Amino acid sequence: MFIAIDETKCMGHGRCYAVAPELLTDDDEGFVAERGRCWEIPADLVGEAQDAADACPEGAIVVTETAPADA
Amino acid sequence: MTQTRRGCPVSHTDYTGHAPLHQHYAMLDADREQDRFLFNDTTDRGFFMLQRYDDVQAGFQQHETWTTAVRSALRPETGEPLLPQDLNGQPHVKLRRILNQFFAPAAVRRMEPMAQQRCIELIEEMKDQGECDFVQEFAIRYPTDMFLALLGLPVSDGEQFLEWSDDYFGALLAGDPGRAEAAKASIMKYFDEAVTERRANPRDPKEDMVSRLVEARIDEEELTHDEILTICLTLMLAGLDTTRSALGYIYTHLAQNPADRQALVDDPTLIPKAVEEFLRLYPLVFQAGREVQEPQDFNGLQVEKGDVVWLGIAQANRDPRKFENPDEFDVLRPNVNQHIAFGGGPHRCLGMHLARLELKVVLEEWHRRIPEYRIKPGTELTERGVQLSMPTLPLEWEV
Repeated sequence: MFIAIDETKCMGHGRCYAVAPELLTDDDEGFVAERGRCWEIPADLVGEAQDAADACPEGAIVVTETAPADA
Repeated sequence: MTQTRRGCPVSHTDYTGHAPLHQHYAMLDADREQDRFLFNDTTDRGFFMLQRYDDVQAGFQQHETWTTAVRSALRPETGEPLLPQDLNGQPHVKLRRILNQFFAPAAVRRMEPMAQQRCIELIEEMKDQGECDFVQEFAIRYPTDMFLALLGLPVSDGEQFLEWSDDYFGALLAGDPGRAEAAKASIMKYFDEAVTERRANPRDPKEDMVSRLVEARIDEEELTHDEILTICLTLMLAGLDTTRSALGYIYTHLAQNPADRQALVDDPTLIPKAVEEFLRLYPLVFQAGREVQEPQDFNGLQVEKGDVVWLGIAQANRDPRKFENPDEFDVLRPNVNQHIAFGGGPHRCLGMHLARLELKVVLEEWHRRIPEYRIKPGTELTERGVQLSMPTLPLEWEV
């Protein structure tokens, strides 16, 4: 499973790293530090990744089976 | 209903008056369920209402062509300059970058011990009275003190400051420019002295917001003194009445729903989720405005340059298409974090994390000390329109 965070959509609501603290971290301005990245989720954190995607009010986080073609 | 405007049914619902408590939510729900888009004709310019969750969220993300030249659909002509929200595009992003670090979760966590201490002091001061007007005495004083602390000013100024800010805010919402100017003059003088003092005696700009504003450069230009004062005024306008108002609705709910109150007393770890659910259920900034800069087809709604658009925050938060049983308070709902009480897009509320902290700390510390309370019998509960707030909430408890 892969997680991708759209840098242009992330507005620093901070919900994702609040629900997925082992997968995501915050930067000094309150944005998720991993924004703009796409990576394979460690197997034990797939649940957290899905929670993070579900928590984002901007729809900036996508969890997919396979790596997106443009990643 | 046969009357339409550009294909939208026309709504005459007036959202600016006083009403019995919670009536605005009923009006907002009724408008949302009448049709996907409405044109409301109760203001001079009128406004197109976006009301469903998906439309409101998409509306906030239209920031390149829908700007804050209008900030409130209900008060499109309000002349009060605000920063950073009057800016759009890159100038907005640059100023937000300077301010973000003082409002990010990491910065807010550093304020938590002070937030707890001040909250405890205020509760202890009145606990033995056995009663208070919760919104007038406690729920406004606490965020006022926190605001002063954020600016590095003494909380002992809170009482005086509160008088000015209350007067100013009330006059602005009532659309009374004369009274607003007079109240504003006292506040600006106070900020002017504070900023001038900080210019003379700068503190660590990583920790002290005013010092940071004084030394900040945007494209190599300093912020002007007036801009810094406007930022201070904006933070005050954004953070005080809103927090009071949120606390008023939350404590009304808890006083009227003892099972929900008892759940938080028994298990305080539920409080952060409860805060999110309260924000979803009782948003007080129930709409944001935007001004359209380019003609566009927005999901079938034809908008023209100069149109005013209403982004129905409360309607989105209570949209049954998004939130199951939207009128129910349910801390365990799976999408509790997706509410948009703080707006969305680049203008999303700067103070959202501080607001969350304040609400959490109040709920924790209050219920530790005053776990049971009730609304004074015979009280008629009402709310103010435009931006919801309760004028009074008398609470009683056993001493």
